[in-house]
Amino acid sequence: MHRTPCLAATACLTVFLGFAAPAFAHFGTVVPSDDIVSQQDPKKIQVALKFLHPMEGHYMDLAKPKQFGVLHEGNKTDLLPTAVETSGKGGDQKKGFTAWKVEYTIKRPGDYIFYMEPEPYWEPAEDSFIVHYTKVCVNALGKEEGWDVPVGLETEIIPKTRPYGLWTGNVFTGQVLVKGKPAADVDVEIEYLNESKGNPKIVQPPSDPFVTQVVKTDANGMFTYAMPRAGWWGFAALSTADWTIKKDGADKGVEIGAVYWVRTTDMK
Amino acid sequence: MRNILHWLTLLFVLGSLTASLAWAHKVNLFAYVEGGTVYTESYFPDGKKVEGGTIEVLDAGGKKILEGKTDAQGAFNFPLPKKEDLTILLDATMGHKNSFILKKSEM
Repeated sequence: MHRTPCLAATACLTVFLGFAAPAFAHFGTVVPSDDIVSQQDPKKIQVALKFLHPMEGHYMDLAKPKQFGVLHEGNKTDLLPTAVETSGKGGDQKKGFTAWKVEYTIKRPGDYIFYMEPEPYWEPAEDSFIVHYTKVCVNALGKEEGWDVPVGLETEIIPKTRPYGLWTGNVFTGQVLVKGKPAADVDVEIEYLNESKGNPKIVQPPSDPFVTQVVKTDANGMFTYAMPRAGWWGFAALSTADWTIKKDGADKGVEIGAVYWVRTTDMK
Repeated sequence: MRNILHWLTLLFVLGSLTASLAWAHKVNLFAYVEGGTVYTESYFPDGKKVEGGTIEVLDAGGKKILEGKTDAQGAFNFPLPKKEDLTILLDATMGHKNSFILKKSEM
């Protein structure tokens, strides 16, 4: 940032204050109807794209993504042409917010990484844009290969725990990359998706810190978190982009998030 | 003489260990039809190919109509014998078996 030291300090303070408030735990969300497709399962799955506060359930409009595709056996397929606009709301919201859904047919064995790059979202409370590069993995037909391959996004989480077949109580370990390189000391926000299919009761956090957990990445960009409930968990590793976006003639900062979703199941 | 025995024992143990690691997993089978040929792929969950596995193909009545062995790529391909539901069985030894129903609708 090429600003005077005073402006830089003010900008840093604004950004810091913005991040310190747990209410701004926006999560880019990509969740499939089935994350482990076995031989006897339907091969057609639905993938939902949303932008919301996973624990509180509040949706925000997700404009048609800039990029939405799937990586399988080294090949990327653009799924944006088949994305259908839908709507979602949660908590005490009265009106619906824009969301998207895609139908995808699994044909071959292996891991399918669905990835989304949204259009930058303007957040006035943080005076910056937000771009959450979001990924989720679907395993098909018993071949567990491909889940740890990078997609090649501006920032992304590389799972170090195989991201499916996880029990409630298992840990999820991931590595945060920014421009392909491990990112140290990055805040990773973690939230449970209260609307997870099968969640028997909406979780009511006893106080603010319970809405979003935070862990920091180590010198190698690694983080670990134990998941205490069955359902979907979102991990959002937040960094500041080294580029800006112009809004009303001014350069605005961009919060880039590497987001990863995994599902846990109770061991019965 | 004792040294040679020790080395042989070590090699045998290591050999057995390597073999059992590969078979610690379930075995999988995937089949599809393209251009009148049935392609089958046999693999372990970690992606390793099943080499020398036995493939048996049963017709809709459950009668065995052909048999073969998977190659170094885990593949065994054959011309589509009948346009009906086929059951394809894989036996990768050590009790590792699986099957795949290739539906008539996919032919």
